Amino acid sequence: MVVFVSATDKAPALIKWIILKDCTVRVNGSTNINKFSCSIPEYQRSDTLTCYRPGNEVPVVLSGRLALPVISFDCNNSMMTNDLRKTLKAKEFPSLNIYFISLEKYPELNHAQEPITGLVNIELAGISKKIEVNYRFSMDEQKIIHLVGTQTIRFSDFLLVPPRKLGGMIRADDRLDVIFRINFKRIADS
Amino acid sequence: MKKIFLSGLTAGIILFIISYGGLYTAIHYFPSFFVDYNNPLFNSNGDRDILFYSHAFIFSFALSWFWERFKGLFKGHFILRGLEFGFVYGIIALVPVMWITFSSLDITFTMVSSWFFYGLCQAIIAGIVFARTNP
Repeated sequence: MVVFVSATDKAPALIKWIILKDCTVRVNGSTNINKFSCSIPEYQRSDTLTCYRPGNEVPVVLSGRLALPVISFDCNNSMMTNDLRKTLKAKEFPSLNIYFISLEKYPELNHAQEPITGLVNIELAGISKKIEVNYRFSMDEQKIIHLVGTQTIRFSDFLLVPPRKLGGMIRADDRLDVIFRINFKRIADS
Repeated sequence: MKKIFLSGLTAGIILFIISYGGLYTAIHYFPSFFVDYNNPLFNSNGDRDILFYSHAFIFSFALSWFWERFKGLFKGHFILRGLEFGFVYGIIALVPVMWITFSSLDITFTMVSSWFFYGLCQAIIAGIVFARTNP
């Protein structure tokens, strides 16, 4: 359940934004022999995100969660897909959870993309880590809010061992670039 | 027994350098050939690295014993004896093992062919070493 609460400058307000189903999460990584790009192509849950900003105070408080099924990661290569799922311990920890915590400020929400940073808690393979994410917010003519979040994480942040094969002669880099695109629709004020 | 051990050790050291040096070089210059190794079939957490790197010695000691038992069957120049020994090993050991490996595991023909070629080269090199150190 994700709730995004907003407010005018004068009065605190709560806004709930529903997460639309056409959302994606992509992770880009590399090994010493190739690069890989794996994605969860379509988020199937209609979660909501709540944003709450009491008056002019910053940061804006967020609450809500994106629960991504690790088993849905697809690397366009069955072997690599299976390898990533195994590395992320998909059987033991089937969900990659992104908990939204805060935004540095409330977004303007217009056609132009607005860069804003925010905090999220990423829970992966049973380990939770608070991470600052670079967001870009925009809103289109249909009042759909588009959020693109990017951040580099490390396997080691989550006590995961980057895959290594043939005695370490083939090894994945510790870094993973995560990009998630989420589309919201405002559903309620309170 | 001493000859078996010393021949095996010599072959093991030479194979270690050639095999892992060759593998490292191949991965560096032909990386696309190794993309299929990003596969959960292959151990990925490093806990068996010592087993992986000791293979050259396991292989050499086993073949050194085999050489001691059957070296009388291989005649001629030492290089010829090594070649014949390698091909014998390839036919009686590698072909059946690679056959069952390819038939049962989700690996490519290119991959299994490379393993056959790799094992054949190792056996030929070991045979040449044995023919020189334990004729």
